[in-house]
Amino acid sequence: MRNFTNTNKYRRYRADVNSFGVVTIHKRNPYIIALWSIAFPGFGHLLLEKYVRGILLIMWEIFINQQTNLNLAMMYSFTGRIESAKAVLDVRLLFLYIPVYLFAIWDSNRTTVELNKIYLLVDKEDARFNSFSINAVGVNYLEKRNPFMAFLWACTIPSLGQLYLNRIILAFFALTWTVLFVYQSHFLEGIHYLIVGNIEMSTNVLKPQWLLYIPSYYFFTIYDAYMNTVENNKLFEKEQRRYLKSHYQPTNFKIRKGQKVK
Amino acid sequence: MQIFATFEHSTFIEVAISQLEENGVQDIFAVPLDNRVEERKLFDTIHRSDGVSLTQTGLFLAVAFSTIGASRGFVLDWGPIYWGLIGAFFGFLLGFLFDLVVQRKRIKKEKSLKGKASEVILIINCEESQKKQVEELLWDNLALGVAKISG
Repeated sequence: MRNFTNTNKYRRYRADVNSFGVVTIHKRNPYIIALWSIAFPGFGHLLLEKYVRGILLIMWEIFINQQTNLNLAMMYSFTGRIESAKAVLDVRLLFLYIPVYLFAIWDSNRTTVELNKIYLLVDKEDARFNSFSINAVGVNYLEKRNPFMAFLWACTIPSLGQLYLNRIILAFFALTWTVLFVYQSHFLEGIHYLIVGNIEMSTNVLKPQWLLYIPSYYFFTIYDAYMNTVENNKLFEKEQRRYLKSHYQPTNFKIRKGQKVK
Repeated sequence: MQIFATFEHSTFIEVAISQLEENGVQDIFAVPLDNRVEERKLFDTIHRSDGVSLTQTGLFLAVAFSTIGASRGFVLDWGPIYWGLIGAFFGFLLGFLFDLVVQRKRIKKEKSLKGKASEVILIINCEESQKKQVEELLWDNLALGVAKISG
């Protein structure tokens, strides 16, 4: 059940609260979005809440990266072993990578600019939107959340920040890949050997091809959780202001000119 | 009797209104305030956030430096995890300082607004006999300030 049914009276809507999360149009910095697309194609689109595009681009990136050993080649290049990098790269699919990578960057940047324009219109129109959802899947609503808590939980395991915000699809997606990356890269094993003081063993056990996904993935989920907590709080305020203005400003209300009493 | 109260935006306002109505107080006027642009803060809190926090460049540079750090770690003494973490920390710090320098110019222009901000005013018309009950109800729902006007 929702508390708003579309009346076709409005042209655009600011947000929608549904069973799987809160989707919001808000202002974003086109350069920051483009930078996240550079870090990992698809991240920019996820930040723009274009989930299908984002998830497709991420799966594409991981597939092609695995096929061509791109991360491994990056590791060899950064450590000056250019010959090894050349040897390990699989050229059969390599050139499929470049256009899609550049497209993801270009498209996320362009879309941000476009969405920012739409935001201006949406903010002006200030249409009512669905702010409560209850059905067999569960209950979702607008609430004030603490950005600092979002940050802290997101720092523990990627996906918890998204779960805090009830962004179900992204939380599940992020957790699935986290488990895969951690398992395949032997990341926790590496940490185990560091704790017992065996650095050499730790280095040997790590698999660079999988390990190099982790930094961008980890910090992205933190940024996404934090940024969306802030934006959800802003949305809460806007929705509440609208509600109070439309329900609690009767024209016959009179201010009394009495004395302030104890 | 007229009672004024100020609140920050939260679900508590709507709880307060609903409880007032349950107690037969129907004449309520709400004024959401446009707040003065306040000092930009490093870390957003639950009640105030301007979105221009100093983490956006930091987190991105953490990614860049930690990826390169982890790669280089495969040939360095301390291994990929330590170098990845060092890279992340260094990148975050660098981005954080960058934002700090950029934001500081704006911070200087805007005078600080200390403490909690009143974001909504509620004005409630009620009977003299309900005064105590209404006041307690408002305080219980985290009103920032309450004033009662006779007459």
